[in-house]
Amino acid sequence: MTVTREAIAVPDSTEPTLALLRELRRGQARKRASGIAYWIYVAVLFVLFFGGAQISAAYRVLRHPPRGGAHALTVLHAAPGSLAALGLLVLLVLLRDALWRGPVTLPAAAVSWLLGTPVSRGPLLRPRFRRSAVTSIIAGAAVGIVPAIALVTNGLGGHSTGGVLRLTGVAMVSTALLFALGTGAGGLVERHPAGRIWLRRATPAAVGWAAALGGLAAWAAAGRPPAVLDAIALWAGPWGWAAQPMIALAGGSAPLWPLALVLLAALALAALTAADRGTAGIPGSALRARAQTLSAMSAARVSFDTRGFALAYSRAGGPRRARFRLRHPRHRVLVLLWRDMLALARAPSRLVGAAALALLAVGMFGIAAASHAGHAALLPVACALGLGYLAAAWLCEAARLDADDTRRSALLPFRYDSLAWWHAAVPCAVFYVVAGVPAVALSVAAGDLRLLALLAVTVPVLIGGALVNVFRQQYPPDLYGGFETPVGNSAVFPFILWLTMGPLVSVLPMTLLLSAALGSSSAGPLTRAVILGAGLAVALGIFAAHRARNLRAG
Amino acid sequence: MQAADPPPLLTLTEVSRTYDDRTVLEPLDVELAPGRCTAVMGMNGSGKSTLLRIAAGRDTPTTGQVRYEGRVVTQDDIVVRTEIAIVGDQVSAYPDLTVREHLQLVAVAHGAGRDADDLVDRALTECRLDGRADALPGSLSSGQRQAMFLAAVLVRPRRLVVLDEPEQHLDPAARRWLAGLLRAEKQNGAALLVATHHAELALSIADQVIVLSDGALTSRGAPDAVLAEISWLAEIR
Repeated sequence: MTVTREAIAVPDSTEPTLALLRELRRGQARKRASGIAYWIYVAVLFVLFFGGAQISAAYRVLRHPPRGGAHALTVLHAAPGSLAALGLLVLLVLLRDALWRGPVTLPAAAVSWLLGTPVSRGPLLRPRFRRSAVTSIIAGAAVGIVPAIALVTNGLGGHSTGGVLRLTGVAMVSTALLFALGTGAGGLVERHPAGRIWLRRATPAAVGWAAALGGLAAWAAAGRPPAVLDAIALWAGPWGWAAQPMIALAGGSAPLWPLALVLLAALALAALTAADRGTAGIPGSALRARAQTLSAMSAARVSFDTRGFALAYSRAGGPRRARFRLRHPRHRVLVLLWRDMLALARAPSRLVGAAALALLAVGMFGIAAASHAGHAALLPVACALGLGYLAAAWLCEAARLDADDTRRSALLPFRYDSLAWWHAAVPCAVFYVVAGVPAVALSVAAGDLRLLALLAVTVPVLIGGALVNVFRQQYPPDLYGGFETPVGNSAVFPFILWLTMGPLVSVLPMTLLLSAALGSSSAGPLTRAVILGAGLAVALGIFAAHRARNLRAG
Repeated sequence: MQAADPPPLLTLTEVSRTYDDRTVLEPLDVELAPGRCTAVMGMNGSGKSTLLRIAAGRDTPTTGQVRYEGRVVTQDDIVVRTEIAIVGDQVSAYPDLTVREHLQLVAVAHGAGRDADDLVDRALTECRLDGRADALPGSLSSGQRQAMFLAAVLVRPRRLVVLDEPEQHLDPAARRWLAGLLRAEKQNGAALLVATHHAELALSIADQVIVLSDGALTSRGAPDAVLAEISWLAEIR
């Protein structure tokens, strides 16, 4: 059996090959099983140690379910919109998982050594799909406990142990079915390339629908929207069907919930069956791409390279195409600003996500400002700044591209360390535009112009903090070790500090300054916040430039 | 003077490849017959690997088509997986399997059955891996790793062998051994498509050389003529 000029008969070698592989890797399989057992043991210990109080509280709730308070009715009214929205988001996450990982993945070694052989794909891939489906169903059942607990602790779900158990049971079943549907549909997405295109196109609409459902939940909590809207939310898709049994057993209105549950089960079963049958036909290109992505992620994880991890995920989506073109700048100094705008144009979803986060941040800040509660405003201000920091980090993607490979900017007419300043311009401008409009509206409505002054100084601080993180060096290997303490190894602390330096130096001081400014009606704290904030923004710019210089120097 | 070419095994007709608006391979025709070798040369990024991936069904051409004995080539086609051997797409190995075990796996997957051990022994000897048969991939040098990938071709049946820079990581003596190995493959009737940077290797094994530059075909013909024509390749010689 070597070189031949004649056609080669396709061998029936699947069973002996897989048997040989099992035999050769028996030790490895045993090692993996013991690894899984160890992690289950750690997880159980962790849950018992940190969740012991919650478990005993849950047990008490189970024995003596609380009576519904005044807010129970509000929670019940909001349940159709909120549970349907959560169901839709869960389904979307499971489906989008199939774009880069999917229920069926082969290790890189199997891709390299088996995919190009005549071994049948079905016996190779089907067990992996079934394992994913079982894991997903178990995870779904576990996740189902969360909404059940939320309903029961609000006094919904009956006043007997039996009622609570019934509610928890249907919540677990319906969530498990939703997860099963997601896994089955994910398998089909992996099998059919057209499904991937369809899913990418449908994602914005699905997110929009989930936002609308969230809006409906907020409306239902505040007032009484027409019942037909609840009906639409609950019957528009499997996410609503999954919510119905929980709502019905919590005392809400979903009279046809058994039908919804049957529909969900039938759809989940159909999806799992179709995906199971189609497993053998998953294209080799899809399997290769997924193995490559997972290998890159695994390498990034080992070296604590969070950026490498994010890049591997982003590359799994294929090359990004510019949605619109920008004319080349006439002056060379503008080239970096042009490039930054182009980077945002290439990923409109990032721009939209950053805008949404910035708007949420302004809304949260408005709530904090309205409370006028001094230190009580700390939490909403910190949340607003956290959201704002995330928006800033998303807007600094172009800076990250220069930090990924310092040679990339060699031809630019700037010193490398000055890039930290130049890269701040476009994100600041975008942030000001996105957050400025609602901030002006809020200020005018409240007759309080302090918000605008605080926004003006907060944006550069957040962008500066994001750039501090962008230009960080690789995690120093000498910090991997740490030393043993009674509560574990200390290596985790420098790692957390390295990871969160940007938010620590921007969000933390601004939280103190802004909450003090909002909590006082005198001009002093406001002036202090503006002046110190401006100084902090400059300091962060200098710090980011310093880090950029170190990064370049290696 | 060469004998008349036998009918082609692999035919690439007007194949091109673009990513977004970037053309990495301009329309190109290639025919490959049993017992013949075509070497593809060019600078890094000239489109050699793209051409080889398309020829092996690992990538889909933007225009044109690839046919293997009349059937459209896709990487999932069972005939393609049975008859076309590829070197250059292995990026990973089982960390817990030895060199011998990797080769056994390939041999058994291609239906070697009881002959697997003999085939593996012969391939190990041929690729000068006898002393490393029980080594794990992590302990191999890059040259030995490349030899392992070449040995994986020898333990399976093949009519067409696609090799992407097989001389990578090999020292001069090993490159001479590689040239001998590929000549033997050709003499036994395999069709070879080889991307290489080494003019000497191309000279010693190829019947035809294709030179690519920025995805475009710049020269094609007998190795001597093409290598004499292209100055930068001549310098390598």
